[in-house]
Amino acid sequence: MTLQTTVEKAEGRVPVTIVQLDGELDGSSYEHVIATVRHVYDTGGRHLLMDLTNLSFISSSGLVAVHSSLRLMRGEAPPDPEYGWAALRAINDEVDSGTVESNFRLCGTQDAVQKVLDRTGLGGIIPSHPDRASAIAAF
Amino acid sequence: MGPAERRLRVPAELGFLAEVRALVREAARAADAAPDGADDLVQAVDEAATNTIVHGYAGRPGWIEVALAVVGRDIVVTLEDGAPAFDPTALPDPDMRVPALVRGPGGMGIRLMRMATDGLDYRPRDGGGNILTLTRSLDPRPTEDR
Repeated sequence: MTLQTTVEKAEGRVPVTIVQLDGELDGSSYEHVIATVRHVYDTGGRHLLMDLTNLSFISSSGLVAVHSSLRLMRGEAPPDPEYGWAALRAINDEVDSGTVESNFRLCGTQDAVQKVLDRTGLGGIIPSHPDRASAIAAF
Repeated sequence: MGPAERRLRVPAELGFLAEVRALVREAARAADAAPDGADDLVQAVDEAATNTIVHGYAGRPGWIEVALAVVGRDIVVTLEDGAPAFDPTALPDPDMRVPALVRGPGGMGIRLMRMATDGLDYRPRDGGGNILTLTRSLDPRPTEDR
């Protein structure tokens, strides 16, 4: 097992679900992360903090999990090439106006993982915090 | 290219990616590669091997062989497989003008492979399959390309 997933609850201004990923997030583990986040949303979780303090590696498969988590927490299906142009434009406008809702945050991202997020543009659209406390306070 | 210093053949299954990454990491450390270069090489090899497993073999059983050698001031990784011929270096980069939220990570594997290496060369393998060569300097890059 290259990745261990731990789910915890915290109380900030709002209830926050913390998904902690320890190890390496790759093609063998990303679907498990998507399933975990889907379960969080399906059971009523609306504010998700992904704690990456102990995540030492992320591949593009792992980025799919992060991107899917972002979408799931917005109440949207994970990326599907069939979804309509209207939805695409709506999200585009949101991004342009800087109003993407931040009910999904990251914390503790190591440099090697942050580099991958930044190289693919995902780093710029997901708020990132140094630690749990500051992330929870930001929801 | 000189003789390979390390070589590993694994089944083409996602569960073996960690073993491949560990080998690359160990070889990069032994060669005293710059830390960012070592991370990048691990990334690039993982992306290439994942591609082979997911798209090349596409669920069929197969193998991947990884060989690492230090050539001058470079680490050269050779990835061989027996999957149907496919040249990942011919893939276009994703359109980075599309917002990341919309675009998602589709096609990011090849982008990461290009950014993480100094050289990426493909050739078909004699008798079927593919050979991908990934090169990265042992020396740190002058500026980090964030």
